[in-house]
Order: sequence, then C-alpha cells, then structure tokens
Amino acid sequence: MGYRYLFEQMVRRELRQKYKGSALGVVWYLVNPLVLMGAYTLMFGVILDAFPGISDYPLFLLVGIVVWAFFSGSLLAAAPSLLDQSALIRKVRFPREAIPASVVTVQFVTFLALLVLLTPVTLLIRGTLSAALLLLPVILVALYAFALGGALVVSVLHAYFRDVGPILAAALLPWFFITPIFYTPQDTPGVASHPFIGDLLTWANPVAPFIAATRDVLYSGVAPGMDTLVYVLAAGAIALVGGRLLFARMQSELAVVL
Amino acid sequence: MRRGDIELEHASRSFSVRADRGRTLKELVFRRGSDGPPPVRALHDVSLRVGRGETVGLIGRNGAGKSSTLKVLAGIIPLQEGRAEAGGRVVSLLELGAGFGRDFSGRENIELNGALHGLRREEVAERMDAIIAFSELGEFIDVPVRTYSSGMFVRLGFAIAAHLDADVLLIDEVLAVGDEAFQRKCLRRISEQIAGGTTLVLVSHDATAIERVCERVVVLEAGEVAYDGPTADGLLFYHRLMGTPEGAPLDVRRPAGAEREVLEIELADGVGRPGTVFRPGDAVRVTLVLAARAGAPPRWLVLEVRDAEGRRVFRTAADPALVVAGGTVRFEIPRLALLGGDYDLVAGFAAPEADPDHYDRVQRFAVLREDGGEGLVDLRGAWSVADRAEAAS
Repeated sequence: MGYRYLFEQMVRRELRQKYKGSALGVVWYLVNPLVLMGAYTLMFGVILDAFPGISDYPLFLLVGIVVWAFFSGSLLAAAPSLLDQSALIRKVRFPREAIPASVVTVQFVTFLALLVLLTPVTLLIRGTLSAALLLLPVILVALYAFALGGALVVSVLHAYFRDVGPILAAALLPWFFITPIFYTPQDTPGVASHPFIGDLLTWANPVAPFIAATRDVLYSGVAPGMDTLVYVLAAGAIALVGGRLLFARMQSELAVVL
Repeated sequence: MRRGDIELEHASRSFSVRADRGRTLKELVFRRGSDGPPPVRALHDVSLRVGRGETVGLIGRNGAGKSSTLKVLAGIIPLQEGRAEAGGRVVSLLELGAGFGRDFSGRENIELNGALHGLRREEVAERMDAIIAFSELGEFIDVPVRTYSSGMFVRLGFAIAAHLDADVLLIDEVLAVGDEAFQRKCLRRISEQIAGGTTLVLVSHDATAIERVCERVVVLEAGEVAYDGPTADGLLFYHRLMGTPEGAPLDVRRPAGAEREVLEIELADGVGRPGTVFRPGDAVRVTLVLAARAGAPPRWLVLEVRDAEGRRVFRTAADPALVVAGGTVRFEIPRLALLGGDYDLVAGFAAPEADPDHYDRVQRFAVLREDGGEGLVDLRGAWSVADRAEAAS
C-alpha cells in the first residue's frame, strides 16, 4: 500500500509538534535523562553509596535511564494519541495504527539521538568497544517492536476506557523502581538469602532484559547471554503481534467512541 | 466490485447515546448490563446501489442518517448488519481541513492530506501545482494554515479533494462555506470529474446545489430510504416531508406506482403569498405540481373542493392537453365564493368522464367567518327593496 508516505508525513508532523515553539526543544530530551542521572548518582552513589561494586555509576545509570525513558515515554505519549487525533479519525479513512506508530517512532528518533551522544562517551570512558556492539541494532529493533506493541495496546484501550492513561501513569512509577535501572538484581539486598527475588527482577519484568542487554553491549562491552537475547527478541515479537491483533480488533469502532 | 460502484445492502447501524462519549472502567464495572438509554438507530435496513458515474444527492432532516451513510461508505464507521462497499479510491470530504496541521503551511498540508488519502509521494508531487493553482492561495500556500480564514481553508481543502482522482467522491455539506464564485468553480470541477466517471454522493441542504449536480436523489427519513428517484421529484418529496412535522405523511406514496401524479397543491393569495386561510371573496391561486412518466396515457386532472363533511362543493377538470408532460399548472379563483369553514382541496388524475380512483393530494384551507350568509357558498347576493308596499292603516 501507499501508506509508507503517510507514515513519514505523520512522523514529520509529530516531530514538528513536539518541538514546536521551543528553541531548546530537542535539548530538553537530553537534559531530562541527565538530571535524572545526576539525582540518582547523588542519592545512591554518593549519599547512600548503595552500590560500591558498580564502577562509573553515572554511566551505568544513564544507559538504563535512556532505555526506560524511551519505553515509558512511548506508552505515555501513545495513550492519548488516538484521542488527540479524533477529528481526523472521525472524518477520514486511513490506517489508524499510523497514529500510535508515529508517536512511538518520534520517541525512538529522540532515543536514537541520545544514544548517538551517549555511546561514544560510554565506549571511551569504559573502553568497551567490542564486536558485541554489532548486537546493538538487533536489541534496538526488538525494543522498538516491544514499545510499538505496547503503544498500540494502550492507545486503543485508552480510546475506549479513559482510565487507561491515568492507570498507566500511576503504574509506571513503581514499574520504574522494580526495573533494574539504578541497581542490578544481583546487588539487591535479600537476593543472597532469597535467590528467586533476583530471578524475578531479571525475568518477570519484560523491560528488564532490554536494559540488561543494552547495558551489556554499551556499558560492559560484552554480548548479552543467549537467554537474554532470545527473551528480548521474543518479547518484541509477541508485543508487536499481540498489539496489532488487539488494535485490529478494536479499531473499527474508533470513529464512534472518540 | 467495479471502480466507482457503490453498494449498500440491508445496512443497519445504531449508536448508543451518552452525554460523555468516553467510557471509564468504573462505568464498565458498575453499569454493565444495566439499562442505559436505548441506542439510536442511524441507519435501518438501507439498500442502495449507485453505479459508476452516477450523481446522487442525499437529503433528509438532521439526524435522518445522511452523514452516517457517508461515513459508512467512506469506511470510517462499520455496519452492525448488512454490507457496504465502494469500489476504487473513495475520497470523503466530510469536513474541510480535517487533519490539517495548524502549524503547517498549506503546501505541507497538501502533502499530509494526500498521504492520508493513500497517495504516494510522487503522486502528491505531480498534483501539487494544480492543487495550489486551484486553491488560488498564491503565495499564502507557504504560510501556516492557522493564519487562514475559513474561506481559505475551504479553498485548500476542496482543492486537495478535487485532485485526488477519486472513483467515489463523498461530500458532506462542505461546499456551502465558500464564496459563490469558488462554489461555482468547485461544482464545475465536480462535473468534470463526473464526466470522467467519478461517482458522486453529495449531502446538502442546498437544493440548488443538488439540483445542479445530481441526477438522482435519495431522501432519508429516520434512517430509512423514504424516496429514491429523479432529482426533481425527490426535492419535492423532501419539501413536502419537511412541511409535515410528524414526518412521512399518510398519503405520500412512492412514485414507483402511478404513471401520473399530483405531487403538490399550493395555495396562495391573489399576489402569490402562500397561505391556507382566506376571507370570503379573496382571490386565490391554486398551483398544482404534476409528474408524469414518459408515454403515460392522457388523463384529466380533477380538482375538487369539499366541505368538512366531505361533500363535494365544486369540481373542475383540466383538459388533458394542458397536463401532458407534468410540470406546474394553475387554477385562478378571482373571488373565493365560499363561506366560513374548513375545506379540502383534493386533486387527482382520472379517465375521461370518470372520477379519479384515488386522489393524490389533499390540501386543507380555512375561510374566515364573516357576517353574511350561512351555508357553504357565498352567492354574493344583496338585499334591496324592490317595491315598498303602502302600510295598511
């Protein structure tokens, strides 16, 4: 179909709308992770000194933070996206998944821009330039698919049930803390006596393996374990297929419910 | 399905009414299965076939289902029952500037809108100059559309829609916004496309626009097809429908049956002001709108006045030569010779020397009671003394 052009146009429009009227537009997306990094470094690295085993703690943090920011930002922006475009949905026929997809893509573009800045710095300071870096694109594609699948689900659900957005926003905060962003599951107190907590933190949360994989490649300079890699690819595929199925089922009534 | 063909088969669609259209989980949990207001029927068992290159005007009251029909055909709203199909590229112009990014220039919006309608980059690029020229926006094409007037919006929106090479063009009321000259230009452009085989479905309250563009009219009433046929008859049907608050009047029949028909009886005073209340002695003008199928046998047009009890007060028949091909005929009454009361004017077609087997139309009118005679007919007499006899003393 000729809808590739539509997708391009929608992404352009999203990008423009996101950065319109603010001279520092793009810069804010750089500032936010840096502020978070500073805060957590201060808190856990300096004041509590909770993870003395993690070297270059700010970089360790930053890799996790940008991955999380992409994931959570995608879902948060996607949730109201169909509602925001209701005028269009009610008046023109076009593939509606282009709306959440363009939202996620704009988040992804921002994320990539951050990675382009972050990667050389990390590689330089950590000395982690290795062949494992070749796996980064694979991990990123899987992460994109994972976020896109989630975005399709929350956007179409929010169109029907307006609580989905607020519930999501509330859920993302605890989700952030159970995601190994400022710690590794192995370092968690209690893991020594209850090893299953470590397994839970590593595998039960689908975002954790994405962060682990990205961190392995960038921060540690090693290839992620096969289990992590398979998990990541499977999670991306399942989220995308499932999201598309749900969206396809629910999208037909959108012009009515919006 | 052929490009440009449209088919609706037993199409039904209803909507649940709710003040706030969005549902919340709370509602879902607590009101599940409970009784909300009953759903509103937007379309009920609508069947419609439109062939390539046909021009159909869709009219009806607000809420009769016109917009729903367009949205169903455009694929924006799904049916609950039945089937809807439109072949080829369907371009819907339900709202001018739907999907315009307000911070984008006219040119960028052309790209976005073209993309929304499924055009590829090259296809949009090819049409760009023609669209800009048609819109007459000139240098303003590169200015953000948030600065546009509503007239400029219309120009841009229509210019885009008119250059998408639609097989089926669905237009909802949008032409009414522009200035007259641009409207004419739009209509001309639409006719060109129709000549090229585009099918048009136009929703409008503007009878002249429908008359100018459409050869066929579909009147929707409460979600059902109340009339489907030639434009002239359809517009009359519609006007009649609008004149009666309850909707379809009892004596309205589908024009399918009769070969000749009185479509309308209009009453007016001597200077042509429509009305249904007169004084005795007023001049009254009766206008009858007639329809005849081609080749219908000649018939007498019978016009009767009846009193409130249904008794015939007056009957007249117009010579068949006067009413050969339908159209409009007039019966002028210089002085209404009726006394106060309610009367019916009925009209119908009849074979020679016969009464009509049915009367197509009834129009009630009233005559004010004034001093004078009693009864039905004002014989316009006056009393005078002819010969004064000497009083007996």
